Amino acid sequence: MTVAAQRLVIVDGVRTPFARMGTDLAELDADELGRIAVQALLGRTGIDPDLIDEVIIGCVGQPMGATNVSRVIALRAGIARHVPAITVSRNCASGCEAMTQAYEKMIADHGSIFVVGGVESMTRYPFVFRQTAAAKFGLLNKAKTLGRKLNAMTRFRPSDFTPKAGLLMGLTDPVSGLNMGETAELITRENGITREMQDEFAATSHRRTIAARERLTEEMCPVYIPPNFTKVMTEDNGPHTDQSVEALATLTPVFDRRMGTVTAGNSSQITDGAVALLVMSEEKARELGYAPLGVLTGYSYTGCDPARMGLGPLNAIAMAEQQIGLTVKDADIVEINEAFAGQVLTVLKLAVSKKYASDVLRRKTPLGEIAGDILNVNGGAVALGHPVGATGARLILTSLKELHRRKVRRALISLCVGGGQGAALWLERV
Amino acid sequence: MSTHFTSEILDNGIRVVTFDTPNSSANVLNLATLRELSTYIETITADRDTTGLIFSSAKPAIFIAGADLREIQCLTGEAELRKMIMLGQLLFNGIADLAIPTVAAIHGACLGGGYELCLACDYRIASNDHSTKIGLPETMLGLLPAWGGSTRLPRLVGFPNALDLILGGKQLAAIPSLGRGMIDAVVPREHLIRSAVQHIFKGRRSRTHYPLVNNSLVVRVIASRARVKAMKMTRGHYPAVPKALEVMVEGLSKSLTDSLTLERVASVELARTSACRNLIELFFLRERAKRCHAMPNDMQKSTFRIGDIGVIGAGVMGAGIAQWVSAHGHRVILRDINEDAVLKGMAGIGDIYRQGLRRYTFDSASARQGMDRIYPSACEVPLTRVDLVIEAAVENMEVKKQIFQRLGESTRGDAVLATNTSALSVSEIARGVSHPERVIGIHYFNPVHRMQLVEIVLGEQTSSAVTEQVLQFVQGIGKLPVVVKDSPGFLVNRVLMPYLIEAVSLFESGASIWEIDEAMRDFGMPMGPLRLIDEVGVDVALHVATHMSDVFRDRMTIPQTLLALMERGYLGGKTGLGFYIHRAQGDLKVNRRIRRVVTSNQARHINRKALQKRMVLVMVNEAARCLEEGVVSMPQDVDLAMIMGAGFAPFTGGPMRYADSVKILQVVEQLKGLAEDVHERFAPCTLLRDMAKSEQQFYVQ
Repeated sequence: MTVAAQRLVIVDGVRTPFARMGTDLAELDADELGRIAVQALLGRTGIDPDLIDEVIIGCVGQPMGATNVSRVIALRAGIARHVPAITVSRNCASGCEAMTQAYEKMIADHGSIFVVGGVESMTRYPFVFRQTAAAKFGLLNKAKTLGRKLNAMTRFRPSDFTPKAGLLMGLTDPVSGLNMGETAELITRENGITREMQDEFAATSHRRTIAARERLTEEMCPVYIPPNFTKVMTEDNGPHTDQSVEALATLTPVFDRRMGTVTAGNSSQITDGAVALLVMSEEKARELGYAPLGVLTGYSYTGCDPARMGLGPLNAIAMAEQQIGLTVKDADIVEINEAFAGQVLTVLKLAVSKKYASDVLRRKTPLGEIAGDILNVNGGAVALGHPVGATGARLILTSLKELHRRKVRRALISLCVGGGQGAALWLERV
Repeated sequence: MSTHFTSEILDNGIRVVTFDTPNSSANVLNLATLRELSTYIETITADRDTTGLIFSSAKPAIFIAGADLREIQCLTGEAELRKMIMLGQLLFNGIADLAIPTVAAIHGACLGGGYELCLACDYRIASNDHSTKIGLPETMLGLLPAWGGSTRLPRLVGFPNALDLILGGKQLAAIPSLGRGMIDAVVPREHLIRSAVQHIFKGRRSRTHYPLVNNSLVVRVIASRARVKAMKMTRGHYPAVPKALEVMVEGLSKSLTDSLTLERVASVELARTSACRNLIELFFLRERAKRCHAMPNDMQKSTFRIGDIGVIGAGVMGAGIAQWVSAHGHRVILRDINEDAVLKGMAGIGDIYRQGLRRYTFDSASARQGMDRIYPSACEVPLTRVDLVIEAAVENMEVKKQIFQRLGESTRGDAVLATNTSALSVSEIARGVSHPERVIGIHYFNPVHRMQLVEIVLGEQTSSAVTEQVLQFVQGIGKLPVVVKDSPGFLVNRVLMPYLIEAVSLFESGASIWEIDEAMRDFGMPMGPLRLIDEVGVDVALHVATHMSDVFRDRMTIPQTLLALMERGYLGGKTGLGFYIHRAQGDLKVNRRIRRVVTSNQARHINRKALQKRMVLVMVNEAARCLEEGVVSMPQDVDLAMIMGAGFAPFTGGPMRYADSVKILQVVEQLKGLAEDVHERFAPCTLLRDMAKSEQQFYVQ
């Protein structure tokens, strides 16, 4: 959709460093991560928290102890009680959805200043009891007499005490029945993306992230890790300084152990992190005297085959072209979320495929080539990690900062979305 | 005629008596209220239709604050006091003897006489509000619970429990009170009356018995231990503690009436002591500090309230300040120059909150809210939202001036800029800052969450509007402010420093570390001066000493011992070695290695009295000098500050009152003697000499 008269600008943003699951940020629930990012955003921008009209945070696996995590984050970060808050989920694009919803609210005249962002603690995804076990626990709770209690207890079987990992369930598409990794296996084998290509791409992601270390810290706030505060986290811990194609080649594929090509090394990492952005109408930014980072030019969300969810960016970029009139050639930098190295490589390959253009996108010409030197220039989720709810917002922040460093105009951001969707956003430096 | 109480009869014949002192936020027990309540009880006794009695309060944060201390202070003669005690005892006996069930429905502070009234009821229930505090703090005022508290509490909760509560003068929140058996139930405030009615339906209650702990054998064993412990802690300066102990022990083996007589006799005796008079006076000094103003009443209202606060420096003081203000609802930006410093600060803050959780100062939700209010940052962030900045960076004039220059530019023009300096000149710091009238000193003491005193230091240009704002802020966060003039060491450190230096010089002249510290503990200090240097840190003490000896050359010199300790890295508690050997566990041991560092050329024994004389008089002299120079305007300020900020023996009433009690003439004579025998630094100051000549006192009798 095109953004007409009133424009939404991104004033500033900040994120926590991203930490691999079970590492530095393991003790922090999603609401704590989000609080830290939003508090830092308020602190850095010096915005009066009372001016904020709504807080919109993307999160996929909300903590059981903080449902509508956005509200919990808002209150804990010191935003006034009268400011409402909503949590949004469009899986991997939740962090984008938070911002585009702010835009839609602004257009509908439901506010003009928003704190948006995304948060995910993948470490803290719960383990859940099977429904059969839950029913038995319910029975036990209801039993009043000793006899009934004993009776209820004897119904349990050992399998009842084996919980299911929430993370695994979350990363499985319930419609096609495929795990995200399996969808990546599917599109890479269909399109002839080899293991070597994927490992090469993964190594590049690490190399670029390491090279960008200092640039990336500009967008971060340090996390003083509660409750004991014996450590402060100031950089992402996903990137390996010595990641090589050779080392990656030794890994066993995860989703198809015999013939597969997708490994833990060429997939995005499972990660904890939070991002917060201050967005507002251009008019408000001017009124408050802010020099914004950038403006939202336009965006599209589309659906695609859930079993081939990795192709979502192609459909979304095509739709954005239709709606906004910008083609991939107009982009000075491009961010395609690295859900899987093979998935991004497939997107790049099909972007120049006439067949895909005519068969799926129903257009005469392919999308066009996306040059490697403007794609994911500071690395991506293979090295940095992919805290699902937060990634979309990170891409917005990272690309806007990069536009300023390169002094160029437009950034295209695209993500594949679990469940079979694609997201594409066009941003512009102001 | 009823003015303090209202009465209402519920449908079921239960009568609710509500204590509601007109035009006051507090309820207290004095002759008038006791008499009025007595009349009530008489009518209820005669009234056959009343089926139960509930006591409640209409005040938002106070049930009954206790006895009216002002009135007690004004009582002339023992007969009057005895009469007042008798009146309360008879009233409470009357309540206890009612044929109908009685319930105290407690919401807010329920202290001293207030709780003694509750003890006379069959049941006590309390609201879970944070304003609810229950206890018998009489011993803290040099008295004992004499309206039946010393008699009824041991019978209600058992002797060991009562001992702890009464001798410790503890004030507990509702939940811990329930745990101790002091109350029977805790409910939300809105349900108090409903719950009270339910309790009345249970009927009158028979007395609890504690055959295991309240029998004479166990009581005597526990009492003898408690006696030793109390003696060790009070060193005989607080007669109320052993007295209360004896009354409880004796009382348990006697009838209720006889036990009450013991309370009465002991109370009259205690009221005679100077400790009691001084402790009550101290109570009033604290109340006065809680309400003091810098501007006339009509001008205060226009001043704006302080909201967000910036704290510069995340060291021990900065972290302590950030913790305290965040716990009192202020959002804080905590700044330091690098991440490690900020991290350490946050760790310290986390520790204080955790301690508070263990002591029930906070529940986990409010502790987390407090932590959440702190935004730690190691890089420069906008300060345009803060109304007050408190700087607690290193004690270096150049650094502070730089910080304030920068603050002057980065804050709003109406934001108050405060320094927590303990020695440097506020006026000097303010020089060159835009709007210097907003620069002021807010000097907290270490540890911030424990020390109630705060010195408000006025620079030459500090405006009275800013002073008023800061006073209100400090009072709002539960601290006791004392306004002082900007002069080296302000008040507390100015008086404390010569004392510490004197202690070190006594050590240098041969007195032992142990004797010096014990002498001052005998005098009534919570810890000896050399131990205090260890706690403060030798480096910090040396820094202040250096600064002050620069200014007051004639009477303060930097003790060589401190330099020697500093050189060897013996910095006190923080390095594990100082005058003492500090271990994580176990008793404190004197660091004997120091004698190798500092050899005395005149090793000689000085008795404790002589040691005390030198160290105390040097403080009295310096304190008098502060009054003479107008650092503070009144002896009351000196006394409050020295007791609350430096631990000056509270029962003496502070250095000025102490001087009065030994007579100014005596003080001057002794100082003159010391000036001749020891050093001219002891020479009495002009104010003292003039007062001696004209036979004046600091306080009018």
